[in-house]
Amino acid sequence: MLLEVKNLNAGYGYLQILRDVSLNIDTGEYVCIVGPNGAGKSTTMKTIAGLLSPMSGTVMFNGEDITGLPASVIAKKGIAFVSEEMNLFVNMSVQENLYMGAYTIKEKKVQNERLEFVYDLFPRLAERKKQLAGTMSGGERKMLAIGRGMMSDPSLMLVDEPSFGLAPQLTSNVFQSLDVLVDNGVTILLVEQNVTKTLSVTGRGYVLENGRIGLEGSSADLAEDSHVRKVFLGV
Amino acid sequence: MPQNFISQTIDRMRSAAGMSIVISIAVAVFATVHSGPYLLINTVVTGGMLALVATGLTLMLGVLNIAMFAHGEFFMVGSLAAFYVFTPISEFISENPESWLVNFGPLVAIFAAMVAGAAAGIVSEKLVFGPLRRRSTDNWVMNSFLLTVGLSVLLVNLHQLIFGADFKGIVGYWSGMPVSIADVYISRDRAMAFVISVVIVALFYLFMTYTRTGMAIRAVSQDITGAEIVGIDIEKIVLLTISLACALAAVAGGSLLFMYPSYPTVGLEPLYMAWFVVILSGLGNILGAVAGAFMVALLKVITVEYVGAGWDFVVPSALIMFILIFKPSGIFGSDVRGVLDQ
Repeated sequence: MLLEVKNLNAGYGYLQILRDVSLNIDTGEYVCIVGPNGAGKSTTMKTIAGLLSPMSGTVMFNGEDITGLPASVIAKKGIAFVSEEMNLFVNMSVQENLYMGAYTIKEKKVQNERLEFVYDLFPRLAERKKQLAGTMSGGERKMLAIGRGMMSDPSLMLVDEPSFGLAPQLTSNVFQSLDVLVDNGVTILLVEQNVTKTLSVTGRGYVLENGRIGLEGSSADLAEDSHVRKVFLGV
Repeated sequence: MPQNFISQTIDRMRSAAGMSIVISIAVAVFATVHSGPYLLINTVVTGGMLALVATGLTLMLGVLNIAMFAHGEFFMVGSLAAFYVFTPISEFISENPESWLVNFGPLVAIFAAMVAGAAAGIVSEKLVFGPLRRRSTDNWVMNSFLLTVGLSVLLVNLHQLIFGADFKGIVGYWSGMPVSIADVYISRDRAMAFVISVVIVALFYLFMTYTRTGMAIRAVSQDITGAEIVGIDIEKIVLLTISLACALAAVAGGSLLFMYPSYPTVGLEPLYMAWFVVILSGLGNILGAVAGAFMVALLKVITVEYVGAGWDFVVPSALIMFILIFKPSGIFGSDVRGVLDQ
């Protein structure tokens, strides 16, 4: 098991959001968490990434307990987090942003190899390497955020709402780039509001409702499930 | 291509930054022709030192979001350290005029000032800013600002209590004939002060632009969550930034000891001047702060020359207010910031 989350309780201050969330991800899987607004999808991601320390529960990564470690340490262990807000360095060029993504890698040679790899994945970024990140379009910035996550050669990528704030055309571009990552053997945990699309591309899914895991199973089954169809798809 | 280059240059000159640089250069040239080259030299020496203090301030503001009002006190710490290191050195020199310390003694004193400043910065982070950062949940800007004012009062009075309120100055660092450049004589101390500031600002710029750690500092200043995500240890960067910023101010204090003897409130003037620079050039822009430092220095020197020595705070601040009415983000305020501000 690559990632094993057990009975996770987390929240902000006194406000508890997650209640006993448990989930597992195996190496090479493409897993999604779907759920309505405010269900705690992003909170789950932030807690795994270490930006939020949990109230109780454990997060095991590669058999190692990483519960409550600071985000910078978790990043070194091989989890890359692509946040909803992207958190790019807006006054740095695309290339500098990518190099910062490889901050945990010390050897310049390996960094450059990763850079080549990311430029191969997203040729658009190579065209714009000198441009400041803050002056790029929304879709390009998403691409850069995903590329920056890839730079550290992570064994697990947490991708939070990649379609957030994007036009439908760009959304499918972002999904395509995630598909490319999956084809390259990257394990991805994806959080999305676009349920139909998400369930059609991922292998397995969890449904998060009011901070609890309501349902889990293969994405194809979830897409057919009457409860999911009623709540999320309105049919 | 050359046509393209020319049109780009013209575009750049028409921006606020370009215009103000062109105007400053024009004013500097005019004043130099009109009153003599010593004006230019004063501007360059004052500007170089101001650049050191202002970059430190910019760094504190950009990386830590602290409106630092105790920065002048680190200037004071630097001048104090330089004084106590240089006094025995100069006694030794007067007895042994052939010693290597004649040339290198002052550098030792200035280096000591830098180390003292960095150490003072680390102590204040450990005792003051660190604990506040761990406990503060909101209103960080206001709380940290008040804390720096308190720190300033504390350091000023500590100086008075321990070292007394009298002027602790030296006659000069480097004795000997003034350096002559194109018929202008500059005292060796001034020339060296300028050289030191140029070297340090250049090194600092290279450090921030090309090294891994310098890039990490910039990353933290632009997006702290993003920096954490990519694996940057925020606490380490914060400590490094504070010690760097304080060391820069202390170097300025140390190398200007021959002009500003050390006394409790010696840091006030550089602090205000550095704030003029930071406000004028836009918050958190290091290269802008360097350019702004020379502009403010020019303003100050010109005011002293043509208006009167008592006006050297009035005219610059009035002009800065005027500029901010038209360009509230400062002359070199980044156009990018704000696109992603959430």
